[in-house]
Amino acid sequence: MIRSDIIRGHLDSIVLRLIFEEDRYGYEISKEISSRTDQRFQIKEATLYAVFQRLEKKELIESYYGTFSKGGKRKYYKITSLGKAFLKEMAEEWKETKEIIDLFMEGLK
Amino acid sequence: MNRLNKHVNELFKDVPEGEKKEKILQEVLQNLEEKVIDLIEQGKDEEDAINKAIVEFGDIEDLKEELEIPQSDKKDMTKINLAYSIWGSLLIIALFVFINFYYTPQAIWFVYPTFAVLWWPLTMYFIWMKNR
Repeated sequence: MIRSDIIRGHLDSIVLRLIFEEDRYGYEISKEISSRTDQRFQIKEATLYAVFQRLEKKELIESYYGTFSKGGKRKYYKITSLGKAFLKEMAEEWKETKEIIDLFMEGLK
Repeated sequence: MNRLNKHVNELFKDVPEGEKKEKILQEVLQNLEEKVIDLIEQGKDEEDAINKAIVEFGDIEDLKEELEIPQSDKKDMTKINLAYSIWGSLLIIALFVFINFYYTPQAIWFVYPTFAVLWWPLTMYFIWMKNR
């Protein structure tokens, strides 16, 4: 598995992106991250809840309770308009960052 | 599932009691149970599934940090410092004004120490602003 400290700094964006696509709940998000990365990156649940707390505190997401399912009532998260704006900004910032790092990391032998 | 419940409660035992803790505990349990059910459906026996879910849950330290109640006493301190600096500087300025007009009413010099003293509440004001 990949060293995760670089990814760690972008977990907020990753989670926000998934919630941006549709309203999701915790387990779904961790499953989605694993499957999209072909199990190369797995988010620890404890970390995921910390991300939720942080995003909710910053009012980038909101939560609501969904229907009753397999283990109980699911808590869903929904992106706010502030969250959408933040995500867009993050995407631009990442593009910029990637370009800069690429300048130094690409073409090495 | 009882073991899962116990484990999660154990993880959260240091988190101060409250509505917030209750909510997050419920959420964590719900998601974990769903994960366990998923794993069982994939062919694991319950024992294994619960173990896997617990191991993959990870370290709770980050979460605890997020759950900490924002340090209100620190915030209060900057406000108290600001109030103290305002009162303190007012008293000092009043003293200068008194000395000025009582002993040397022909020369107005109290504005100089006044300007010097005002740096104090001004600094405290910006520290307070920064912490808000």
